[in-house]
Amino acid sequence: MAVASAALDAQHHEPVDQLYAETRDMRLIGFLFFLFSDVVLFSSFIFAYLYLRNSGQGWPPQGVPRPDVALAALNSAILFGSGATMHYALENWKHGKFFRYAGFMIATIILGAMFLTGQVVEYTALYTKEHVTWGGSGIFGASFFTLTGMHGFHVLVGVFYLITLLLQSVHGVYSKDKYFGLTAGTLYWHFVDVIWVVLFSIFYLI
Amino acid sequence: MAVAAVHTSGGIADHIHPEPQGFIRRYVFSIDHKIIGIQYLITGFVFLVLAGLLAELIRVQLMNANGGFISPDTYNEIYTMHGSAMVWLVIIPIVTGGFGNFIFPLQLGARDVAFPWLNMLSFWMFPVAGLLLFSSFLLGAPVAGWTEYPPMSLQGGVGTSMWCVAIFLVGVSSTLTGMNFMVTILKMRAPGMTFTRMPLFVWAQLATAPLSMVATTALAAALAALFMERQFGIPFYDPARGGSPVLWQHMFWFYSHPAVYIMILPVFGIISEVLPTFARKPVFGYKLIAFSSVAIALAGFMVWAHHMFTSGLAPYLQLPFMILTFTIAVPTGVKIFSWMATLWGGKIHYTTALLFAVGFLALFTFGGVTGIFLAAVPFDLHAHGTYFIVGHFHYVLVGGSLMGIFAGMYYWFPKFSGRMLNETIGKWHFWLFFVGFNGTFLPMHWLGFLGMPRRVAEYDPQFQMWNRVESVSSFIMTFAILLFFINMFVSMRNGKKAGPNPWGGRTLEWMIPSPPHYYNFKNIPTVYALPYDFSEPLPYKGLEDELNDKPPAQLAGAHH
Repeated sequence: MAVASAALDAQHHEPVDQLYAETRDMRLIGFLFFLFSDVVLFSSFIFAYLYLRNSGQGWPPQGVPRPDVALAALNSAILFGSGATMHYALENWKHGKFFRYAGFMIATIILGAMFLTGQVVEYTALYTKEHVTWGGSGIFGASFFTLTGMHGFHVLVGVFYLITLLLQSVHGVYSKDKYFGLTAGTLYWHFVDVIWVVLFSIFYLI
Repeated sequence: MAVAAVHTSGGIADHIHPEPQGFIRRYVFSIDHKIIGIQYLITGFVFLVLAGLLAELIRVQLMNANGGFISPDTYNEIYTMHGSAMVWLVIIPIVTGGFGNFIFPLQLGARDVAFPWLNMLSFWMFPVAGLLLFSSFLLGAPVAGWTEYPPMSLQGGVGTSMWCVAIFLVGVSSTLTGMNFMVTILKMRAPGMTFTRMPLFVWAQLATAPLSMVATTALAAALAALFMERQFGIPFYDPARGGSPVLWQHMFWFYSHPAVYIMILPVFGIISEVLPTFARKPVFGYKLIAFSSVAIALAGFMVWAHHMFTSGLAPYLQLPFMILTFTIAVPTGVKIFSWMATLWGGKIHYTTALLFAVGFLALFTFGGVTGIFLAAVPFDLHAHGTYFIVGHFHYVLVGGSLMGIFAGMYYWFPKFSGRMLNETIGKWHFWLFFVGFNGTFLPMHWLGFLGMPRRVAEYDPQFQMWNRVESVSSFIMTFAILLFFINMFVSMRNGKKAGPNPWGGRTLEWMIPSPPHYYNFKNIPTVYALPYDFSEPLPYKGLEDELNDKPPAQLAGAHH
């Protein structure tokens, strides 16, 4: 935390006033704690999934196909790409390049929306072709739809979060020195990315 | 003074926000940590009365071996609600939200917690959750005990779903409070207050906050899954549909074992403040007490399956869980011996607060020792599901947490209200409670050995005599708690004026008026050493103006 805030301070020439710096540090730590508790929430459901999967019924359960790894891989690439565009959005903001920042933000939002669309396509295919449902396909439906759905909900929230941040920055809420909201948004987006790495591995790869 | 100004001027710690105006903003939707703390205490005590009355219904029912007072179904609802309310609506909110909110920011030399609005939000989730939980009686309350093991919890009435939502809500409240407290302790300590100069109550909150944050989130997941299974038929726990009831037990106890420490660590903090003040002697082993709290908190995450020795846990897992549980006795023992050494050779003042603290030492140690019994797999297999368990956890939760809460109330009530609690009534409260408590819960141990199962509305007639002893004793205990409430009501208006520091305490909360101003400190003090050296001068600078009538320099416009 201390390292992160020191790095932020080193970005600009004029010192940020102390009140803002302390508030920002507190919010940063608080936000990281929030993300951490979200990690615990996902971890608990992941534990539940792995526990049920290894409870001796075989995986996937009878009558349920393995989910389509090709579509999920494409979707993963989209989400990881959005992580990169998010990173460049924040970097450009720090360097005062507003239009580049806005471009990368819009790209991130579009990629996030594409990921969600991909998920809808996947769910629809599972339902129409294989008749896999949340409550009607045993522990597969329960764990797969709960976990990927929770993640999708986080992406959906994230898309609206980024739209809000973009509108706020257009309206001058943030300056070159004071942009904690954007830092938080970036952290949130990377967090959603990292969760997906884990979900992709445990549902599609193993 | 000059040092303090250099350290804090312009910083968040020194910022005084305008005084809240109007009744609603001052006392209802307040963002002042002290008001929020008192809100938690009052709400917690209201739920204590309700959950205590449920306990008395249980005791009245058990006076006769063949019951007859209430139906077995109602009996199931009552013990379930008694346990759920006492854990989530009484002890956890009082020791973290109540004492934590009021006391530790003052002890840090802070003007408020890090996120005051979040603090208000956390508080208001709690009474809403409580109302939701108690209103489940109208629709058929949960019946599977406070642990709500499936598949029974899947079959209970709609009240079980309300139970899920209510506990989820208090859980979110607890998680947010934990984050808030963590950031406050990490970022808002007064200048010079290093970690090893923090009062032990703050250390206790620092050890508790991550438990609230991490463990409670895991419970949220378990509750969400139970709710989804009950309402939407999503198979997680029902073995008939591929789920696993043991999964619930893992997820539930991964939270609920750390929750045991959420309920006791802040109380350890209270005891660590009360004992040195009334022994007039530095606390023995400051660092040992501080770090052992953290050790207990960490180890508390690795022992959850000792609640599940009878649920078919693989033997190769039973052994490590047994040994890890034994090791928790080490940091706990470090604390007990440090407290005893604090009293040793001290000039002890036998106030009510001290009596409760010493009573805590005796009863908590007893409950801790039976805990060691139960950690041993061969013993647990016999005692599981008997009254021995009920006796054990009431010794740690009532004899431990609730005694500590009373110690804290007698100690800090003058700071909360500006008035002293009556010491004579206080001593009646203590002795009646102590005798009533032991009469209620001690016989449970041998009843358990003899094979009386818990959670039953009727029992073998051979146990009736001891059950009657327990019930009569529990009425004495209830009467003692009634005395406590009378004491508070009378003293709030007519108690002796307390002044800033009636006990000669040395932590920062005693350096300012009782009750404190909404901004706590006129000037943020600088801290030079630990507070507990009773023979040394106070280790603070910058407190000269706290007790006079001058307004704080910031508000008078003389500063900046």
